Amino acid sequence: MLFDVNTAIGHWPFRKLADNDASSLRKLLESHKITMAAVANLNGIFYKNTQDANLELAEELAPHRDFFAGIATLNPAYAAWERDLEHCVRTLGFKGLRLLPQYHNYPIFSAEAINIATAAAQFDIPIFIPQMIVDKRQKHWMDVETFVDVSELGKLCRKVPQAKFILTEYRISAKLIDESGKPLYPNLYIEISRLRSAYMQDLAKLAKSLGSDHLLFGSGAPFKEISPAILKMQCADLSEREKAQINGLNAQSLFNL
Amino acid sequence: MNKLKKYDVIDAHNHLSMDAAMKLNRADAESRLQAADRLGIDKLCVSIPLTAPCPSPDEFIRANDAVVEGMRMNRRFLGFCFVNPGYQTEALREVERCIVKKKMDGIKLYHQYLICDPIMKPLMTLAAELGVPVLMHAGKCTDAETLKSQPLLSNAMHFLKAAEMFPETTLIQGHIGGGGDWEWNLRVLEKRPPNVYIDTSGSVIDRGIVNKTIEALGIDHVLFATDGIFEEGAGKVIDAGLRESEYRKLLRGNFQHILAMRKV
Repeated sequence: MLFDVNTAIGHWPFRKLADNDASSLRKLLESHKITMAAVANLNGIFYKNTQDANLELAEELAPHRDFFAGIATLNPAYAAWERDLEHCVRTLGFKGLRLLPQYHNYPIFSAEAINIATAAAQFDIPIFIPQMIVDKRQKHWMDVETFVDVSELGKLCRKVPQAKFILTEYRISAKLIDESGKPLYPNLYIEISRLRSAYMQDLAKLAKSLGSDHLLFGSGAPFKEISPAILKMQCADLSEREKAQINGLNAQSLFNL
Repeated sequence: MNKLKKYDVIDAHNHLSMDAAMKLNRADAESRLQAADRLGIDKLCVSIPLTAPCPSPDEFIRANDAVVEGMRMNRRFLGFCFVNPGYQTEALREVERCIVKKKMDGIKLYHQYLICDPIMKPLMTLAAELGVPVLMHAGKCTDAETLKSQPLLSNAMHFLKAAEMFPETTLIQGHIGGGGDWEWNLRVLEKRPPNVYIDTSGSVIDRGIVNKTIEALGIDHVLFATDGIFEEGAGKVIDAGLRESEYRKLLRGNFQHILAMRKV
């Protein structure tokens, strides 16, 4: 099993993307032997009323329920997110929630974020936080330049310990382990696509320190090429059992599949 | 995993590092070789560029000595000599030492000066006389942080100008995936200056980046590289889905062609 937790459909206004509809993306992922994927709608980054993006996503995914797990994009600083979240989970069958504080203009550690994280925990769905969407060094002049600050996210993790957070596009830069080697945020999971592996073995080291049950395979498609993430898993000094966890078992468990 | 191994791949842009005693960090060198083994990379072009605004001759000579130590440690390391062109006399002397006596294969420049700065002329002339390439850290970064920290970062427009200023010198623009606006760089290089190559390295693995680079410059002017970012470097060329003949050029042939230009 290879479960990709970091994919998207929809329009990215700053660069032309290929394979950004559900059918094409599925073909692309399957050509890399990916068997399931969590997917969100990029349009939800830009619509003020993000629920329209979630409805679009549900329509796109209807023929692909056996392959994709839908991820809702919501803005807790906007109106009616509570009703939208319930609709996404109970009616549309979405399996996760994505927050984009850098695009939706609220602090990641804020009353808004605490409220929606608490609600997501009540629905037992994980919360995706992309540290970035694209590398800021190539940012379009209309794009944001800020990354999610992991230490601020950590405050949210601690404030809502019953919620499960998935940090995607994470680049080693922030402290995740305390002085005694224990994870600082036990409810924080890390997607692997930006971790070094063959050289320096950051991926394997992180799996050892956080626990291999806290890492998740992700590619970043259709923004990014997929083989680099697959190579990272192949090059990691981990047991077959640990790799199986990261490649899919952990995602299955988080999504209650 | 070793889809690349059969090509005897040359990584045109990689590095070594120094330890606290300013000698070769052998553990790091070993780690890079192990990573190269896992990904099917045969040889690695290595340098130790210094990123300070104005590294002194003593500092760049020490860095180059560590590269020489690496070349002695393992013949898979092909040395590139780093200098600060601002110290003109010392830089020329150091290039002579590294290329002629120590058998390094190229010159590495960082962001101390733009590649089209007139101060480069003696160095570029010497590189042409020796028949070795000049690889330079480059990018079209658009974020405030990089613009502030690397004000003299060369981009494709600077390379285009340098290609005219130094037509006899082989120039390699570093890491198309080094973080900047790679599409902008490629649109500029569509003019295909005959003495400019580009390497594929860098952490940016936007889909299609390798294919578009080849489309812009032509397959003969693109060099495979990782810049020490191994899976990204290997994975994006695997996903490019090139023809066998194109892989042979990209992964080894084009760099061998550059090596064959050597005159000393």
